[in-house]
Amino acid sequence: MAARLRWLNLSGALTMITVVGAWQLAVDTGLVDLDYLPAPSEVAQAGASGLSSGELGSAAAHTLAVSLVAWLIALVVGVAAGVLIALWRPARVTLTASVEILRTLPVVAFVPIAVLIVGLSTTMEIAVAAWAAMWPILVNTRGGVDAVPARLHEVAAVFRMTALRRVRVVVLPAAAPLVLVGARLGLSFALIVTVVAEMIGNPAGLGYQIVRLQQALRPDEMFAAVVVIGLLGIGLNAALLALTTRVAPDMFEPGRRA
Amino acid sequence: MSAQRWLASSAGLLPLVGLLGLWELLGTADSPYFPPPSTWWNAVELLNASGVLLPELLETMETFALALAVAIVVGSLLGLAIGALPPLQRATSPLVEFCRTMPSAAIVPVAVLLIGLGRSMAITVVVFAAVWPIVLNTAAAVRSLSPVLHDAARTLGLPAGARVRKVLAPALVPGLLLGVRVATPLCVIVTLLVEMLTGTGGIGSLLVQAQRNFISAQAFGLLVVVGIFGYLVNSSVNLIERRLLRDWPPRATAR
Repeated sequence: MAARLRWLNLSGALTMITVVGAWQLAVDTGLVDLDYLPAPSEVAQAGASGLSSGELGSAAAHTLAVSLVAWLIALVVGVAAGVLIALWRPARVTLTASVEILRTLPVVAFVPIAVLIVGLSTTMEIAVAAWAAMWPILVNTRGGVDAVPARLHEVAAVFRMTALRRVRVVVLPAAAPLVLVGARLGLSFALIVTVVAEMIGNPAGLGYQIVRLQQALRPDEMFAAVVVIGLLGIGLNAALLALTTRVAPDMFEPGRRA
Repeated sequence: MSAQRWLASSAGLLPLVGLLGLWELLGTADSPYFPPPSTWWNAVELLNASGVLLPELLETMETFALALAVAIVVGSLLGLAIGALPPLQRATSPLVEFCRTMPSAAIVPVAVLLIGLGRSMAITVVVFAAVWPIVLNTAAAVRSLSPVLHDAARTLGLPAGARVRKVLAPALVPGLLLGVRVATPLCVIVTLLVEMLTGTGGIGSLLVQAQRNFISAQAFGLLVVVGIFGYLVNSSVNLIERRLLRDWPPRATAR
């Protein structure tokens, strides 16, 4: 019950309402007179008409689908590479420094390169978003596998587990909390880079909508698209957080682990 | 020891070096997709010789540095307030969460419409994207302050100035610095992003221009320039943090 009340956070909701209300009032009364600042009511109207015409919905669906596909690819590659680097010494020795260098290259700078190589397409979007999402997953998986207690490895050795079985039964469950942290970071990276790729490269999805509406000087519809992107970000984050608390509840109550 | 470490880390570079070497051997100089690494240097050198590269690089650095400075000032003040007043933290948390998860790219067109093109727009966007780790880490540091510290300062009758200098600053600076370390790469990325999206100058817009004109060697070369810039900025922030924290916390609080 208490947890439920805490989740509601009345004062937080009140702040949001106040901010939106003040914005509405400021525009209505002409207190803030910016040429291209629509009132929240106009944004809501534009959002509703965008949704009913299907334009906003299909753009959002495109962005969401691309982000999720890219994230899934990043998850598979990132977890596999992270486990390999953590457990197999030759991979660790030869890959660590290269990973560090590639990981720190600013992600957005890869978008023009990807446009050059792959062209303006959905494949390009998926490629850059997966590239960006892979690094936090890889690094966190490696950290999580490194932190698996030696005792568990010994148990696996006593049971004469094959390498694959050891990874599946012992290593991954023990590393799951950190892998999930990486997965959550990776998902938000995937969404951001997908939007960037749509703004610079592939003319599709919410990123393209925003750029197009800005250039067409239609601020109300543009704000509606921005709000949808913000809601997508929050929704994806919340969904993964809920999954995390279900899969690894220990993470948030360290006391239970002992 | 250092020779051994050098050897170990250079072994880690092997795949990258090998890939670039193979690329150099197999690539043809006029390939539109995969120009060999040797042509990257020429392309960047050409930009430099025509006097374009340095001013744009300086512009990127200036935007980055100003935005980081503003983010540190604004972020630490907001973090102090949010951390010190739990009701304020509760009231602002949904708003902070919304702003924090908002993909930074999406606010660029909004800022262009509202503020117009220019440096203040770029700085606003970068600060909006990078300020949150500083806010949250400072607030967390304030919340984790032990009440004993306040009591001790009061018992000793420390004046306000001394309380900030001897009690608050030593306890809060590590948290603030952690926030700055997280915010720095964000600042680099969003600075480039704004330049790429608006095309109004800086390395980011050079990169997009290279792509639009299909000068792929230049695009790859600029990617390397951007990578070196990011690497230098991040490692100097790490260095500053380590220097500052080497003798942290000051002896007086450790006793």
